[in-house]
Amino acid sequence: MTETTDRPARGRAWSKPAQLVLGLAGAALIGVTGLFLAAVFLHVAPANSLSRQYRDEIDGVVYPEFEQNWKLFAPNPLQQNVSVDAQVRTVAPGGATTAREWTGLTARDIAAIRGNPAPSHVDQNLLRRAWDFYDGSHNPQDETPVGSRGKLAEQYLKRIALQRIGREADGERVLEIRFRVTTATVPAPSWSGETAPPAPKVRELPWWPVADEDYRGLLG
Amino acid sequence: MNEVSLPAARPDGDGPLDGVEPAAGVEPSGGAVPPPRVPRQAGAGPDAAAPRGPGATELLGRAVDAFTGRVLGRHQAAVVRIGFGLVWLAHLLREWPNRRVLYGDRSPWSMELAERLLGDDGAFTVLTWFGGRFWFELVYHLAVLAALGVLLGWRTRASTVLFLVTVLSLQNRDVFLGDGGDNVVHLMAVYLVFTRCAEVWSLDARRARSGRGGRAGAVLWAVLGAVLAVCQFGGFSGTNLSWTGRTFPHLGWAPLFWGLWAVAGLWWVLGRLRPDGEPRAVLDALATMVHNCAMLVIAVEVVLIYATAGWYKVQGSRWQDGTALYYPLHLDYFTPWPGLSALVGSALLPVFLISYGTVMVQVAFPFTLLNRRVKNVLLAVMMLEHAGIAVVLGLPVFSLAMIAADAVFLPTGALLRLAAWASRLAARASRIRTGRIRRRPAP
Repeated sequence: MTETTDRPARGRAWSKPAQLVLGLAGAALIGVTGLFLAAVFLHVAPANSLSRQYRDEIDGVVYPEFEQNWKLFAPNPLQQNVSVDAQVRTVAPGGATTAREWTGLTARDIAAIRGNPAPSHVDQNLLRRAWDFYDGSHNPQDETPVGSRGKLAEQYLKRIALQRIGREADGERVLEIRFRVTTATVPAPSWSGETAPPAPKVRELPWWPVADEDYRGLLG
Repeated sequence: MNEVSLPAARPDGDGPLDGVEPAAGVEPSGGAVPPPRVPRQAGAGPDAAAPRGPGATELLGRAVDAFTGRVLGRHQAAVVRIGFGLVWLAHLLREWPNRRVLYGDRSPWSMELAERLLGDDGAFTVLTWFGGRFWFELVYHLAVLAALGVLLGWRTRASTVLFLVTVLSLQNRDVFLGDGGDNVVHLMAVYLVFTRCAEVWSLDARRARSGRGGRAGAVLWAVLGAVLAVCQFGGFSGTNLSWTGRTFPHLGWAPLFWGLWAVAGLWWVLGRLRPDGEPRAVLDALATMVHNCAMLVIAVEVVLIYATAGWYKVQGSRWQDGTALYYPLHLDYFTPWPGLSALVGSALLPVFLISYGTVMVQVAFPFTLLNRRVKNVLLAVMMLEHAGIAVVLGLPVFSLAMIAADAVFLPTGALLRLAAWASRLAARASRIRTGRIRRRPAP
């Protein structure tokens, strides 16, 4: 690390043991490098006969630290604006409940991004990707979780909203929360001659109960 | 020392540039062949010096010599190091006000949720070792220092290891937070550990030139060893520091950390006892081989990024009909300047040209590596496109990370010119500062 290193090998006559060590190490390094690159290549390539054959080995190398996702704008760029809104129901000390106004969580993100040369991950990624996570782990018909991660996604989404809305509204404690997600397709450019996209689709999630422990660590 | 046989400075230069090592190593007297697949060492003298038509055995011999004895792409490695140090440092400082929400005790991705996912996938993070704010703040600020150490090239092997540990720890705390930029930083944080990326343009290189050893290295080594031992045997690190892994290839993180630590110690001891002995030379050759493999991995990684991005785009209907660029310009999350985005996406021809051009460049890039000139042109185009993305789509960290990764393919000549220019600029700045006292510098 400290010295320049062009010299030693050049012109140096290695002893037999040194040759052996260097030879073996060189062969091992080249082998490992080749196998690693092959695994990464097969991971990003479309599923194929070779990658199916060695799926466990490839996954073992690539996950969890060498995962790659370079398909952000491929095969097609994202063409939808997804807006997440949340609504809470609060309970008065007497027991009467009130459904509060919808809060535009995505709208707040967008407001923070506008005119900002370096948007924060808090505004640009947190809610956006949490919704992707929820969407990917739930059945859109009846909102039932698919797989073991669905419940984690629900908890994550709920806590993001609760952090932004707070524990109370007008002095009343938050009792329940629900989400409304509007997906609007970006209309094609005027010169494309395509018909206007369908009206935005609205997806409503059921009411979820809110407990004190949902707020753990959220508010300072 | 082995260095005596080579000139200490370029005779025709402007004098020793700070942090710029003379291109001595680049011009081996034997006229070595350009290294395969790794960026060519420009700045070298005329290639005509190379003998014509060497035999296959000789070629193989030279390849072996280059692989074991030459730190290939040392300037590129340094630029990649500086680039990623800078990118991650900028990210950490920018997010400093939000750090607790993103990675810390106020994260909506609570420690409980994180632990359930980590129990599943086994990703590396030290943040789950202790709850609470103090540990998190310690790790976050250590991450800032590690990024600074990598940027400056201070005790670089140690800094890159710390960089690896902190980058992985923060990112794996909440994997649903990152974007492509985080992904590139994550990968490069691992690869950089294996490179000799501080041979030029680093504090380490400057110290080596001045001949002052400094005690800091030995102290740092002892401290890091003690910290590692505490983490290993303290009973709080869970499976993060295990020796073996659950799945193929059955390797934990402990072998890497302890291995690096042991080698660093051996390196130092041999340097003290027998600096010119063969064991030290063998270690040196091994480190060079590891570096050369890591540089290959970095280069292939960048190629894969562009190749996959391009090859998958070819299949997309929006890239085929030439309107793809239009859509990201109308996504709320990626339009910090809606007026600018609307302007860029306002007309058929530019949208078409940029959409098609992007796909062509990305698909073509791997093959242009065979031709130096075309490669450089494409590299410039891609860097410009990423600079555009930084502003228009509001993704500066992602774009800077991609530019830093691209830098692995920059020609050495251009890097040296850039360094010379930067050093002249610095010299002028310091002259202006001292100029108030002494108007005319002595000739």
